[in-house]
Order: sequence, then C-alpha cells, then structure tokens
Amino acid sequence: MSLWIFTACDSLLDIDPEFTQDAENFFNTEEDFDRAIIGVYDMMQPAYLNIWIGEIASDNSIAGGESVNDTRGLHEIGSMTHGGVNEELRAVMRVNYTGIARANYIFENQDKLDFDGKELILAEARFLRAYFYFNLVKYFGDMPLIVDRRISINEIASTPRTPKAQVYAQIETDLRSAIAGLPPTVSVTGRLTSGAGKALLGKVLLYQGKYPEAATVLGELIDNNQGGYALFSDYSTLFYANNQNVAEDVFTIQFSGLQGGDYGCLICLNGNAAVGFHGIRLYNGPLYADGNSYNLPTQDLYDSFADGDIRRDATALNLDEFIAAQPNSEDITYAIGGGGHTGFFNNKYIKRLDERGLPDDDLTSPLNYRVIRWADVLLMAAEAFQRTGNDGRARTELNKVRSRVSMPAINSSGDALLQAILEERRFELSGEGYRFFDLVRTGQAASKISGFVTGKHEVFPIPQVEIDLAGGVWSQNPGY
Amino acid sequence: MKKILLLCFAFALQYGVWAQSSVTGTVTDDSGFPIPGVSILKLRSTVGTVTDLDGKYSINASTGDELQFTFIGFKPQVIPVGSSSEINVVLEEDLTNLNEVVVIGYGSATKRELTGATSQVKGEAIEAMNMPRVDQALQGKIAGVNISTNSGAPGGTSNIRIRGIGTFGDNDPLILVDGVIYDAAGLNALNPNDIESVNVLKDGTAGIYGVRAANGVILIETKKGSLGAKPRLDFNAYYGVQETARKLDLLNAREYAILKNEAFAAGGQALPFNNVNLGEGTNWQDAVFQEAPIQEYNLTMTGGTEKTSYSIGGSYFGQQGIVGGPKANFERYNARINFITEIAPRVKFTNVLLYTREESSGLAQGGIGSVLYNTINAYPTETIRVGDRFSYLDNVNDIINPLAQMENTYNNTFVNKFVGKEEIEYKINSNFTWTGRAGYNFAMVDTKVFNPLVWYGPGKFANSARNANLDPVLVDVGGLEIERGANVFEARNTFLDYNLETFLNYDSKFGEDHRVKGMFGLSLVGNRSEGLNGTGFNIPNNDLNFADISANQAPGGFLNNAGSFQSRQRLTSAFIRGEYDFKQRYFVSAILRRDGSTNFGPNNRIGYFPAISGAWLISDESFFNVKAIDFMKLRTSFGVSGNDQIGLFRYRGLLNGSATYVFNDLIVNGAAIGNTSNPDLKWETTFQTNIGLDFSLFQNIDFTANYFIKNTKDLLFQPDVSALLGSYGPGGSPPVINAGDVLNRGLELELGYGSNRKTGVNFRFDYNITFLKNEVTAVPEGFEFIPGAGFGVGGNVATRFQKGFPIGYFVGYQTDGIFQTAEEIASSSVSQPGAEPGDLRFVDQNGDGVINFGDDSDRTMIGSPIPNMIMGFNFNVDFKGFDLGANVYAALGQDIIRNYERQQPFANQLAYNIDRWTGPGTSNEVPRLTTGATRNTVFSDFYVEDGSFVRLRNVQLGYTIPSTISQKIGIQYFRFYLAANNLVTLTRYQGFDPDVGSGNPLFAGVDNGIYPQARTFMAGLNIKF
Repeated sequence: MSLWIFTACDSLLDIDPEFTQDAENFFNTEEDFDRAIIGVYDMMQPAYLNIWIGEIASDNSIAGGESVNDTRGLHEIGSMTHGGVNEELRAVMRVNYTGIARANYIFENQDKLDFDGKELILAEARFLRAYFYFNLVKYFGDMPLIVDRRISINEIASTPRTPKAQVYAQIETDLRSAIAGLPPTVSVTGRLTSGAGKALLGKVLLYQGKYPEAATVLGELIDNNQGGYALFSDYSTLFYANNQNVAEDVFTIQFSGLQGGDYGCLICLNGNAAVGFHGIRLYNGPLYADGNSYNLPTQDLYDSFADGDIRRDATALNLDEFIAAQPNSEDITYAIGGGGHTGFFNNKYIKRLDERGLPDDDLTSPLNYRVIRWADVLLMAAEAFQRTGNDGRARTELNKVRSRVSMPAINSSGDALLQAILEERRFELSGEGYRFFDLVRTGQAASKISGFVTGKHEVFPIPQVEIDLAGGVWSQNPGY
Repeated sequence: MKKILLLCFAFALQYGVWAQSSVTGTVTDDSGFPIPGVSILKLRSTVGTVTDLDGKYSINASTGDELQFTFIGFKPQVIPVGSSSEINVVLEEDLTNLNEVVVIGYGSATKRELTGATSQVKGEAIEAMNMPRVDQALQGKIAGVNISTNSGAPGGTSNIRIRGIGTFGDNDPLILVDGVIYDAAGLNALNPNDIESVNVLKDGTAGIYGVRAANGVILIETKKGSLGAKPRLDFNAYYGVQETARKLDLLNAREYAILKNEAFAAGGQALPFNNVNLGEGTNWQDAVFQEAPIQEYNLTMTGGTEKTSYSIGGSYFGQQGIVGGPKANFERYNARINFITEIAPRVKFTNVLLYTREESSGLAQGGIGSVLYNTINAYPTETIRVGDRFSYLDNVNDIINPLAQMENTYNNTFVNKFVGKEEIEYKINSNFTWTGRAGYNFAMVDTKVFNPLVWYGPGKFANSARNANLDPVLVDVGGLEIERGANVFEARNTFLDYNLETFLNYDSKFGEDHRVKGMFGLSLVGNRSEGLNGTGFNIPNNDLNFADISANQAPGGFLNNAGSFQSRQRLTSAFIRGEYDFKQRYFVSAILRRDGSTNFGPNNRIGYFPAISGAWLISDESFFNVKAIDFMKLRTSFGVSGNDQIGLFRYRGLLNGSATYVFNDLIVNGAAIGNTSNPDLKWETTFQTNIGLDFSLFQNIDFTANYFIKNTKDLLFQPDVSALLGSYGPGGSPPVINAGDVLNRGLELELGYGSNRKTGVNFRFDYNITFLKNEVTAVPEGFEFIPGAGFGVGGNVATRFQKGFPIGYFVGYQTDGIFQTAEEIASSSVSQPGAEPGDLRFVDQNGDGVINFGDDSDRTMIGSPIPNMIMGFNFNVDFKGFDLGANVYAALGQDIIRNYERQQPFANQLAYNIDRWTGPGTSNEVPRLTTGATRNTVFSDFYVEDGSFVRLRNVQLGYTIPSTISQKIGIQYFRFYLAANNLVTLTRYQGFDPDVGSGNPLFAGVDNGIYPQARTFMAGLNIKF
C-alpha cells in the first residue's frame, strides 16, 4: 500500500524543463548545426584580451585605467610582474577552452545528421578550434589537447598538458582541412573564408619557424588571391567603422553596437570592449568619446616612427597635440587616470563620437577586430621569403606595405632586410595586439621589454587556480 | 469493547447528557474580568465543558469529584467539589511559559512536553515593535536566530539565519504561515499585527520537514477567533516620521579643495583649485536625505459562536523612504478572513484567506550607481543645480548627480496576492484524528519601469540620450538609422506555491503512566512561476504620462522586445513521527521523512531524513527537592535534514548558454550549452545535535539553554571548474556539485522574568544571547577557496569561502602603520614594491622579505562578517495604566568592508582623510593622498571596520485609560502611546548603518552604501470595542 503511494507520488517528479532544448537532444536538424556554429564564432568576441595583453606586455603600451588596481592583472603584465594569480590570463584560458568545447560539441555529434552544407560548418568549426588552440599555445605553451568530444568533470584530473608540438600539429591539421572546405569568398559578411584559413595557417607556421612551408602557403595566398584582397588606400582612416570589411580584411572578428551590455560580463558582449576601454577618460571634445584610458601607447612607440610616417599618428594619438590643433582647444577637457598616463591613446581601436553603440557605450563598440589583415599577410610573407633566401620577393611584399603609406622602398638584403621587415611590423601593426608575441617569436623580447626574463616570460604562467582545479598534476611554466 | 465504550463516552460528552447534580460558577482573572473559553474537566472522567462569554460554566459533578480549570496563560487549578453547588474560580496568571502551546509541525506540544529546541514569540511582542515586517520585529527576539538587513528602504528585505550560515547557497529557513509556504521576501505581504505566534524549530526535530529543514523552520500562526467569544473589534493605528539616524562625515568644499590640491601635487599634476576658501560647499547628503512618513491602520474583528470562530480584518500600511520619499515607497493593503467551523459532529473546517496588495517603488541602491553611492562620492564644490538644470559633476567618471538620478527614476511594482488554506480535521475517535489540507500562495507581480531619455553630463554611463537636448541615440538596424527614445519595461509574473497534505494523528494513554502519540502523513509541495515581459521604445514626449508599451512609437517595432519564463518544481514526501512518554517525565520522539525533489538528478532523487529526541523532566523525580526550582528539564536531539534550494534542473545539461555573433552587421542567435550537467546531484545534508536545559525558578523566572553542533555536508554549489570543461562561455555555468562542509557551533541562552502582580508594578524582562562559531571544514577537492565579493572598481576579491575560516571571511593585506620616511622604507627588512613615505606598510605574511602583490602569499584574514555574539533584550513595565517597553539588539564581533569610497581623483572623501599623513610623524593610520600610482588602494585592513553595534530598536511609552472610564463611551480598552524605533545605535562603524546584510553569505558585511534603516518617531493608539 505504502509502496504504491510512493510510486504514485514519485511519478510526479518526472518533469522536464519547458520550452528549453536539452544539450543531449540536439543536432537533429540543419538549423541546429547552424545555431551551434554561431556559438563557436561567439567565443572569438572576447578579443579585447588579445588586444590588451599583446600590447601591454610589450614595449608598445602601459595598462592605464582608473588606478593600479583597475584590472590589476594587466598592470602586472605591463610590469612583467605577473604570476599565477591573474584574472585576465585566466580569462584567456577559459575563453579559448570554451570555444574549443563548443566546437568539439559539434564534432561529437557530427554523425547524427547528414545534409548539404554540413562539411562547410565542420570546416568552420575546425578553423575556429585551430584559432583557439593557437591562442592557447601562444600564451601558455603546452596545453591539454581535447579533440572531437567534451570531457567530463571526472576526467579533468587525468588530462595532462600536451606538448606544444602536438597541439601545433592538430592546429595545422584542422586548418588544412578547413581551407579545403571553406569558400574563397562569402556572401555573408563575417563568415570564414579559405583565405582567412591560409593566412592563419601561414601565421601558425611562422610561429613554429617553419619558414619554407609558411612561404609556400602565404605566397600561394598572395599569388592566387582568390579573395580579392588588397591594401586599403587610406591608412589613417583604415580603423574607422566606415572602412570595415574592406578588401584589406582577411580574418576579422565582427562586432555590433546594437546590443547593450554591462561590466559584469565582458565576455558576453557583442561589442568590442577594448574600444571603449581605450577611450580618453572624461574626454569632452571633438572626434573622440570618453572611455577608461586603458592600453596607453608609450613614448618609445611614438618615437620609433620615422619622420613623415603617417602611421605614427594613426597608431598613437598624441592627445595634447591633437587638442592644441583644434579651433576651440581651450574648451576641450579630459582627465588623467590613476593607472598611468603617457599622453598617448590607442588611435586604432578607440571610441569615436560617431561610432558608439547602445548604452553603456563603453562596452558596445561596433568596431571589428582585425585578427589578420592583408598588410600582415604581406609582411608575414616577406619574412618567410627572406628567411628562406628569397630576398627579392621579400622586398616586393615589404615595399607594398610601405608604398601604401608613401614610405620609401627598402633595398637592403640579408639580415638588414629581416630586421627591416620586423621593424615594419611594429610600424604597421602596433596597437593591434601582435607586438608581444612578435617580440617573443623573433627573440627580441629580452632586449625590448624591461623586466623580461629569458626562459620565463616567453610564455605566461598557467593560472594557479587552473592547475589546482585540474588536480595539481600540471607543472607550472618555468620561472613562475 | 473498550473502544465502543469510549465512543459512547464521547457521544455522551457531545450532548452533555449525564445524570448527576450540577456545579456552576464564574471564572475570572485576578482583576475580576471573566475569562471565556476556560476548559473544565472532571478528573478521572471524560466529563468536561468550557466557560461561556461571561466566564460562566455549568458541569455535572458531585461531592468528592475534583474539577480541573485550565486556560492558556494561566496556572491550572484543581478544586475539589464540596457541598456548595457554586464554585467561583480566580485563575492566576502564569508568568512562566510551561503550558504554552508550541506548534511543531503536523502537531503541537506544550513547552513542558517539548523534546526539541523550539522557540516561540507571541504576537503581542511582535505588535509592540511597530515594525513594517515580521522579520524586522523578530530581530533579537529569539536566541539562535540572526536577522540582518539587506536594505532599510521601504519594502526592503532581511536575511533570517537560524543557527548560523550552513551554506553559501540558499540559507533561508522554510517559512510556513498557517501551513502555507512563504518565501522570505514574501513576508512583506503579512501584517505583523495579524500574527498570533511565531514558532521556530531550530534543531534536528525540524527534520519533520526533511529536505527543506536544514536552515530551520519558522511556523507562523495568524490570529483566530475563539469559540463562544463575544465579537470584539480591535483598532490599532500609528503615524510616524522617519529620518536618517546618521549622515557620513564627508569633506566640505574647503577641506576638499585642500586635500585634492595635495593629492594632485603628490601625483605630479597641476593643482585643481587656485582658491581653496570655498566654504562649506554643497552638502549632498542634506539634499538627498529627507523626513518621510510611516503609518499603519488596522481593524480586526474576532469572536465566535458555539461552533464557529472567526477573525476578520483589514489594514493599511504606508511608508515612504528617507531617501527618495515617494520614489522609494511601500504600501500594503490587507484583507483577511480566518474562520473555523464545525461542519459536522467531530469535523472541523478551517479556512484561512489573506488578500494583499502591495504597491512599491524603488531607487537604485546597494552598489556603484546607487543613489547613496553617488551621494557619498559627489564633490562639494559643485552646486546641485546649474541654472535650470541639475549639475553634471563633470570631474568624475560614472558618478552622477543623485538628485537628478532620483528625479529620473520611475520604478513601480504592484503585487496582488492571495494566500489561503482549506483544512478539514476529522476526529475519528478519541485516539485518531485525520487532517487533510490544501494551501496556496498565489502572487501576481506587475512591474513597470520607465526609462526616460536622460543626460547626466558628458561621458556618464547612465546617459540614454545623445546630448543635453535629450536627442535620442541613433541606431543602425540593418542599414536603417532609427532613433532610440525613452522606453518602458513592463512585466507580469505570477508565482504559485501550493501544498496538499494529509496526515493522521494518534494519541492514546495506556494506564496512568504510558502515553503514545503517532503521526503519519503525505504531502505534495510544488510551485509554478510564469512571466511575460516586454519593452516598448520611443515613448512619446519622453513623458511618464505615456509610459506604456501600447504608446510606443518605435519605427516598425524594431528595438521593442519581449520575453517570458516559466518554471515549476515539486517535492513529494512521506513522514512519520512517534512519541512516547512515561509518567510525563521521560519523553522520546522519533521522526523519519522521505523526500523526493525535482531539483535533483535521476541518480539521487529520493532522500531519507531521520531525527530522534528525548527529554527528562528532572524536577518531577522524587529525589529532586530543590525548593527554588519549580521545573527542570533536560533535552537532547539529533537529526538529519536537507536543503534542496539550488535552482531548477541544475543536474541537466541545458542549451541555455548565450550564443550570439554578428553576420552582415546584424546580431544572430545560435545555441550553446549553458548549465553543465551532473546527474549525481543531491541535497545538502545537515547533521545537528542539540543539548538543552530548561528550568524555572520561584514561579517567575524561565531559563533555557541550548548547545548545538550543526554540521552541513555535501554543500551544493557551483565551484569554479577547470577551464577545460568549457563552461565559461556567456550564459554558461559550471555544474552544480556536492562538495564542501560547514560547521556551526553555538550556545543559546534565554532568560525570562516576570514580576508578581501583587506588587502593583508589572514587570517583564526577557534576555537572550547567542554565541556562534562558523567554520568551513572542507572545500571541494582541487582548489583552495571560492572567491566572493570584489573590492572597489575592478579590484581583487575581498571575501572567500575557504577551509578553516568563517564563510565569507575577508582576505587582504594586513597593515602595520605607515611608512614615515624614505629611510624607513630603505631600511625595512621587508621590501614593499612602489612604497613611498606616507604609504601603508603591509605585513609580510609569508616571511620572504617582499610584499607580494602578484599573488596571495601575503594576503591573510582581516575580518569576518559573522558576529561572535548576538543579543536581544526586552523590557516592559506597567504601573497604574502606564506602560513602558524597550527592545535592544546587539551584534558584536563582526566586521564590515567600507566599499563605498570611489577611488577617483575628484570623488569626495570621508573626513577621516583630514588626518592623513602629510609628513613624518603626522599620522600612522591614514595614508597620504595622491592621484599617482599607489598601493594604498589595494584591499587591506585599512578598509575593514569593526561592525559591532548595540541598537535601541524600539522604545515605547503608553497609557491605558482605566476601563471603568473608557467603558462609559463603549470602549473596553483604550491605550495610546509614543514610540521611537532605532533611536540610538552605539557603534564605531562610520558608515550609514552597521546592520549590513546580504542574501549571499559571500557578500555579507560588504557595505556599498547601504540604504540605512530610518529612525522613526511614532504616536499610536490601540482600541478594543
């Protein structure tokens, strides 16, 4: 009797959440696959971390902000005092692994349904997984490699760090497969192309020192140019919202100003968080809008440009000079943040008056982030060709970039040419989040970054809490 | 045979047919007032009766019989029947509480019989506090119950914590009002005047409520009528004026200018003020705080006929805010009908029905962006208004003019609530009683928020307009530029809690010495919530008068949006309790409950919760002959209970993550995993042991002591998990797992004293004190701690859940004075990066000779939000119609983080900065001021203050007109009084209010500029017709 009552009562407990799709009952339609891949794309949007850390860790900029405690992790990275407790580095790790988990979720279910276009979605997923893993190895070196399935909480403790070379092999495999599956051009702005895949593969090869292969991949991309890539004519307005998604865009993360956001979840934003954060504190004047004075370019960067190089002012805004040049300069006001002040602001990704998104517009910038643009492809190709003995081709690609900004052609060769190419990367690409990784990759970090310890700072420490959460079996990177 | 006989007896009793001579008389209290409803029993028989409205009775008895007269609140009397057929009885008031009936869940017991740790507060004690909410009135009234305030704003809520904090999840106790489930916030609906008693089950015996009992159980009974009582009309009213009890000591304009010049100079920047003689400047607090009214009117009619008793009433309560006035408003309209009626012989039907309408409006409070946070940080050199507009506070980021903010806030909530219970109790025979009941608590909550286009000055995050002309922002929707104007958000959410219960009670005596009670029951508890909401943009004219979605002018409906939600959960339970006592001297009780909850995974859906308790009435032993001690009882209990309040379906992996990206310049939605699954998820389990002692002395002193050990295991929470799981995406959340233990140990003492009436002065004194120690005894494997609240803007985590420490303890740098000179820094054995003279000197905890700012090695415990000790003290005296009462509450030993100072160059500062370091020997407490880079703003004990306080919560002086006079105008009872709430608070804490609570234990004691509880002066009257 009582058993019967219990059984009857317990059946009342079998209820499901309403109007909610369950994770284990998905990928039943083509649309499900489409929606899942959007979730993977989504995880590229926390790109602000790359823009900040890639610059602040280098000789290009300081952390800035309201005080030295304002995003303290960046201040520590800026002074090369970062350790195992660093929220920003942890965010890098978590964001990229989330992207990987979302991609693997698709692969885990790839056999559930067949339809035309599935290969395209899988190619996108491979590309994105490669991008996330590339971020991880750049930052942390050896990282656990998880492929084609989600792992459960009970498996974490038995998941070791995978040697970097093995992760790179997976990245290359994924990218080559993605390149084969992706179209050279797309009708939907923002979807990935085979050109983007080749550019990223070229970069991945360059980071591994596989110069001949890099030269092949990048040379083919330039020669065939199926995507119709070209340098944008006016460098000084290249980073304006109006000039987004132009022929110079090869691999670009898309943002929108149409959705609000809050400081509680920067990774949730559909706007480019870096842009508002780079803005001038309490600024009240023309062209720009106010922000949080993050990621401030250094005098060293400003001074490194040759006279007459228009890229100097397009890269680092000399604020006082800019204000002085305005007709109503005495009415223009701004404030200095307690986190540091150099007089310069990131003039590429910066909040401008007419490029703001919905409130809070510190967080909702529609400015896209260019992960790889055509000038980068040309300079990477130049480097790869130079390092494989083809100085002529290297000069050709290098001088394409220089002639766009009316800088004289470089005629040197050998090591002088290599140095010129590497310097050109700073002039052309500063403020875009590459500098630190370029310095490390080319062995210049110790000589350029004060406080940089060779053998330690080439990679960032694995967040201590992540080591602990993984059961303490991972060893920390050397020196930390 | 025996049963049939008993039935006959019962039958006979019902109709009062018994052939014997009758005894009549009147029962009065010691002032001569008749007492209706006194039960009279002829001992060693089943014959009994009750007194009528005039205190008169008639019973069949003959010489040699003994009559027992009992009535709650009076000492029982046994009188032998002599030759006279008239026996008039004067009952003496019982100043001890041994015979008070306490509700214990599916039954009741007298204090004499109780085996568990249960406390009771009577309605009168709650009424006397004149508090808007019952939980506020309970603060300091019950040992072991800590009540802290989330906000002093009208309609603001409290946290009720019984015997410590057992989890950093949901710590709210189970609250049942007449058996109907209320959530803690829902107590707003209840008028404290309607309460008959509050009963708190604190120990393992709460386990009769199984998986909902781990945080303790509060059983509230509302007022009912009594059978055969004349209709009585009670009217209570008060009106009061509230004001802030404290304003912060902030810099005036002159001090501000001097200190800012100094800070800017130290930071190597130009001095902002050429002239510092700016006088007082603007006192933003004076402008923001105001006096505000509070009032309540309450009318109740109670009474009963022979078979029906009733209590019917209505009330109005209204309170405006001391910040915001009508913009922070709370009003409550109540109507209720309680009646109990005998619908057939031995069948009693109980109906409880409460209708409440709440109307409230609120301001942003409790954090960055709140009105008070802005008030504290607004600088005094700015006027409130500039010309015909509010000033902009241009020099500070994100801090806006608080008066403009209040003016632009339109945030209204309307709640319509029906709460009720239908219950049938069938007395099958003298041993068995069956009860079936259905309870419901239905609330419809309507919200309307109007967000006008506002402009607080250039660059303010709160701006929704493009410029000072309030031109709307233009947004690009797929190539179409449209204006984004004022918007209105409207929501209608409904919440239904229901319970269906049936239980059978058994009560039987075997011989003189053995009594057995039993209870078996089944219940289904569930809730269902649904909500629909929408936002309409481009409200015409930016005008509140058009603030309705129907008025929206959004082109093509772009921008407008809608949302909905629905949820349900269920709990099915079976429970059994057996009680046995021998000679009313040895008591044993055992409980077993079986619970199944939809909140748990399929692998762990059903839980069993046992409890056992016992008591020994030592004073009834023949060897016990201490004259002074009237009563002494030793109790002990052990029980297991659970907590299933962890949100719905957390065991499942759901596709509720956020997946949005931008294609073709438009946001597209995809799908991603949100909740990560854990099919093994189960309840949190609490093991509690209690040892208690009750005794009473000299007929007028009650004393209760309880010592408890409460061990909460398998805490349900979402720890940080490894990044590899990929649960860190937007909308993602780690799996909920069972890990981590918390230990609460405490000692509770309650002392009550009531003076003898014969002295003419009536005196009542109650004191309780609770000592509590809270410690986290385990955290999930693989990590050291769970981070809690942050400090400052973008600052580091300041509170933690960590093994070996109290929940939510504060972690940061310990300071050791201030570096006075450069030599001192240079010669210090500990190197502190970046230190300059005038900076805080931090303590090197790990002894490596360096203050490490990059890791945790030099951070240590610098405070705890949990009081070591809480105390309550109540005092009442009356003499010749005058009465004086006071209630004092104290919480000692807790700390508070001062987290309302914005670290911005131009933000105003607290006046303690006047005593800052300005050169060697000037200060060893307050560091130098600078706008340059400094570590003085990292979280250290400089920002932690002692939060101990003692508060006179209520003091009241009343006068009752002698009834002989008032009766001439038809009034039985007429009292008027003057009262003050929160008149005096003794504390060293410099914030608005040291009573800083948070629903999340990891955020407790973090003061973001709490809305303070008002100091209130009231006048009121109580009339009974």
